Amino acid sequence: MIHILRDFRPWLQLLVRRRRRFLFGALLVWTTLIAGLALLGLSGWFITASALTGIALGLGMPARLDVYVPGGGIRFFALLRTTARYIERLYNHNTVLTLLADLRYRVFGHLTRLDDASLHRQRASDWLSRLTADIDTLDNFYLRVLVPPVVTLLSVVVVSLFVALWLPSVALLMAITLGLLWVIVTLVTATWGFSQSHQQVADQESLRRLVVDQVQASAELMSYRSAQWHRSLITTQEQQAHSNQRRLGRKTALVNCLVSTVTGLLVVAVLWLASLGFTEQLVTAPILVMAVLIALGINEAFIALPSSFIKLGASYAAVRRLNELTSVSPLHEKQASLPEAAGLAVNVTELSLLYSKSLQPALDFVSFQLPAGKRAVITGSSGAGKSSLASVLTGRLEPTQGDVLVGGERPWQLAAESRANHFAMLTQSVDLFDDSLAENLRIANPSADESLLWEVLTAVALADWVKQLPKGLDTAVGEKGQQLSGGQARRVALARLMLRNPSVVILDEPFAAIDAATAQHIAASLDQWLANRTVIYFVHQISSLNLLPGVEFHWHLVDGKLHQYLIE
Amino acid sequence: MRDIIDSMANQGASDTLTPRRWLQTLAKQERKRLLGAAFCGVLAGGQTVVIVVSIAWLIEQLVVHGRLAMALWPVFALLVGSVVMRAVFQWGHETLSLEASLRIRQLARTQLMDKLSALGPVWLTSQHSGSLANQTVEHIDALEGYFARFYPQLRITLCLPLLILAVAGWLDYLVALFLLLSAPLIPLFMALVGMGAERLNRDQFVAVSRLSAHFIDRVRGMTTLQLFGRTSAAQQDVWYATDGYRRLSMRTLRLAFLSSAVLEFFASVAIAVVAMYVGFGLLGYIEYGPSTSLTLFSGLAVLLLAPEFFQPLRTLSQHYHDRAAALGAAESVVNILNEPSLVSSHTPMAPNSPTAIIEIDAVCVAYPGRGHVLGPIAFSVKQGDVIAISGESGSGKSTLLALLAGFIAPSSGDYRRVADSHYAWLDQQPCLLHGSLLDNLRLAAPQASREEMSAALQRSGFGPLLAKLPSGLDSLIGERGVGLSGGQAQRLALARVYLSKADLVLLDEPTASLDQETERVVMSALLELAQEGRTLVIATHHPEVIAAAQRHFAFEHGQLVEVVA
Repeated sequence: MIHILRDFRPWLQLLVRRRRRFLFGALLVWTTLIAGLALLGLSGWFITASALTGIALGLGMPARLDVYVPGGGIRFFALLRTTARYIERLYNHNTVLTLLADLRYRVFGHLTRLDDASLHRQRASDWLSRLTADIDTLDNFYLRVLVPPVVTLLSVVVVSLFVALWLPSVALLMAITLGLLWVIVTLVTATWGFSQSHQQVADQESLRRLVVDQVQASAELMSYRSAQWHRSLITTQEQQAHSNQRRLGRKTALVNCLVSTVTGLLVVAVLWLASLGFTEQLVTAPILVMAVLIALGINEAFIALPSSFIKLGASYAAVRRLNELTSVSPLHEKQASLPEAAGLAVNVTELSLLYSKSLQPALDFVSFQLPAGKRAVITGSSGAGKSSLASVLTGRLEPTQGDVLVGGERPWQLAAESRANHFAMLTQSVDLFDDSLAENLRIANPSADESLLWEVLTAVALADWVKQLPKGLDTAVGEKGQQLSGGQARRVALARLMLRNPSVVILDEPFAAIDAATAQHIAASLDQWLANRTVIYFVHQISSLNLLPGVEFHWHLVDGKLHQYLIE
Repeated sequence: MRDIIDSMANQGASDTLTPRRWLQTLAKQERKRLLGAAFCGVLAGGQTVVIVVSIAWLIEQLVVHGRLAMALWPVFALLVGSVVMRAVFQWGHETLSLEASLRIRQLARTQLMDKLSALGPVWLTSQHSGSLANQTVEHIDALEGYFARFYPQLRITLCLPLLILAVAGWLDYLVALFLLLSAPLIPLFMALVGMGAERLNRDQFVAVSRLSAHFIDRVRGMTTLQLFGRTSAAQQDVWYATDGYRRLSMRTLRLAFLSSAVLEFFASVAIAVVAMYVGFGLLGYIEYGPSTSLTLFSGLAVLLLAPEFFQPLRTLSQHYHDRAAALGAAESVVNILNEPSLVSSHTPMAPNSPTAIIEIDAVCVAYPGRGHVLGPIAFSVKQGDVIAISGESGSGKSTLLALLAGFIAPSSGDYRRVADSHYAWLDQQPCLLHGSLLDNLRLAAPQASREEMSAALQRSGFGPLLAKLPSGLDSLIGERGVGLSGGQAQRLALARVYLSKADLVLLDEPTASLDQETERVVMSALLELAQEGRTLVIATHHPEVIAAAQRHFAFEHGQLVEVVA
């Protein structure tokens, strides 16, 4: 129980920051509910009073009833309920969307501090969609779980106090019954359904994995004639998930029945007790009717609670996953910084890197020295450890063993700003954002003016192509840069790099998917830009040394081990 | 309707299926339960009518006629009975619709999974497996609300108000007339609510998904943002984007919420109008029609019935988003169901020659949307053959292999294969299941024993690594082989080939992108398999592999030519 609260706490605190909005939103929900009860109660009072007055008049007895005040009241409450409901929906939707901005801001903040290993582990796009779904779950938490029970409890208190003006015993019965019911539909229901709703999320996850397997391994499953075997795994998992959902659904139905029975019996009890009071002339007939009708209407405050609270376990699962993100070891907030020098020497001694879940080290006793301002090429097939080496060199990962010094400092101990200023890296997979071409370039240098952008586009031989685009620099590149070809995207990324002024440059497959003639042009302009900087090229294999001018060192990576080659 | 499902499962629905029709077909399968759920809902509503009418009657007896509560105990007992009955009917309503929705989802998922197998590996590998899993799991689950709530509630909304109207008419026909006059407005409301909710949902859906896309876009590019030191600017950006969408969508919401406000308004006004009418009638201010015979009983009863008249509609409007969600999900699923299947649904004929395992004759392959990609080709694989197929990348090697494996049906020509033949498959990037080594080997031979599995791993050169693993065969390996290097993954895949004992082994570039050591392991394994008398078909450009083959075919200008050494 305590650890559940502890897990929820950081997120609840985020909600508390907007408490004024929440309280006002809850007040609006409460007003809607009370206006409805008042409308029903007052109408009952009015009808009964009218009936009794009518009977008295019919018997020729003197009787008077002011019809204007209750009539006005009835109209007022009818309008109040409608208006309050409309405003409440608008207001609370606004709150929910504001919260969404808060939540995303916060989660994004956590993500910015993740290191390369965590980012790569969590890069799969289904993880991303799960992340947004988790944020949405928390977002709904406010409207589904936080506001309704508060409103219900407040309504129960106010209604009981109101009835207590005339019928204290009836009020006491209402307060106790509804109070207990409140505890049952919130706390007890949440506990009762907790493990199953938590399980539901886990079931969905397992089912997903099995389906992903069935899709990805479809060739193997079909060849080995084992598709049916794997399908039966899916079916079993699905049945397990469904029987869990069935239990959860039945529990919800049972709590709903309880709410309906208890509120129904309460009405009967209120009628019975109030009629005793009426016989003893403790209460007038109109008040009696009003009390009964209010008791009849109060069940509306309870209807939505069970189905929200029974799913608390699912919200908890979302919170747990988001907490996992925040607990992942963040990049060190170290403050070391590098000297302002054009090139920096790179010294790697006996560097080893072992990923947490891996059986074999990604880098195995790698040592090399690259003097300041020199250029090297490191070859290796995919999975040989090139990306891992690049991550360590740029301080995005901390090695398991050994040491790396760039300009005399350990890269992973540098302040993020200093690291960004001194290192530049063209990553193997190019990230372009769903924005215009100009904005994508300006990520590297927000203050770059148009002439500078054209200059770097010319350097990567894209200027002519961009000029003939109807929107020029404002052309949208699409999600993941899909509007561009692979080669074009890579050239945009290279151009982006050239907008910076780093001391150490790492280029991972700079010419992949670029045709030979263009590659030659780009290599020449890169050569100019790379002057005096320390450069490491990572490539699969050297197709032509012409593309790598000025390279003096060649190392080859195989399964995390570095071999030296001679440059001919 | 059965035919539709069958045709969908078998031949891949050449007649296009629409989301609405698919939902209807699914509902038909669980018609009895869904109608039962609606019926229980109407019965529960009926009990509510009994409850409010008895309360009104009791109040009149107690207040006007001065009877004692004790003397009225049978009616109180009836009231208690009705309350209990209502709860029972609610239970029936909820559990029946729950069961129907569970069964429908299972059915829908089976249909989708069947379709995925009919589409086959060639289509599946061209898709994003995460989004396919999304459709199979989340999107099918999104149908829940539609069948569990919206569908029965729509039926209830069509019946229950009529029942209430009849009771109200019996009590006071003017009130019933007032409700009846608003009745033609109900379809109008429903349309209004529907349109409002639909637009609301559509707009919200678009806005929210665009917003999520923006967020995902920035998270995906986190490495780049970190490299350029732009993370805090991007974080601000995320907030502004979300807040911008908030302001934008509030504008549409203002209008969209009006439709449900209208419904609330009428429900409130109904109470107010009935209260005023009854009150003035009882005071004797109205001397028209039935109002002179109004009593406290009939007055209170119609007052309490008025909101009940609108209640089913209000509930329906609350569940409207379930319908929109289901339609959205159905659309994405139906898109897959409408894809033409690539795998042949017929069992192939036996080869003409007794020694042949597979024969293809004048076969052409065409992909939907891409047209002709291969052929015509004639080719046969005989028992014990070791065949190398070479050619430029994209020349058709992989397509030919997929054709031999039966992953794609030929668009024309004959494909004949020995009945019940199973075969081993090894390609460039072996697929690793998310699970243990055991699960991964079971894929090739679900019945194999642990000893056989260990032996197969030893043969494929996985032994030294296996010895290092603390949980041995039960060690978990991650999705897409996280934790295993490319070479280790290929050895594991090779162990599958050994384990399967399949006569025919199809290999698609098995030595590409391997380190030299693993390449040697794979090479010697190929020779070993050939010596065992297994039939091998290898798509490759590796000279050593080609040299080791008995026959060598090459793709030249789209034609398959036998190369004679």
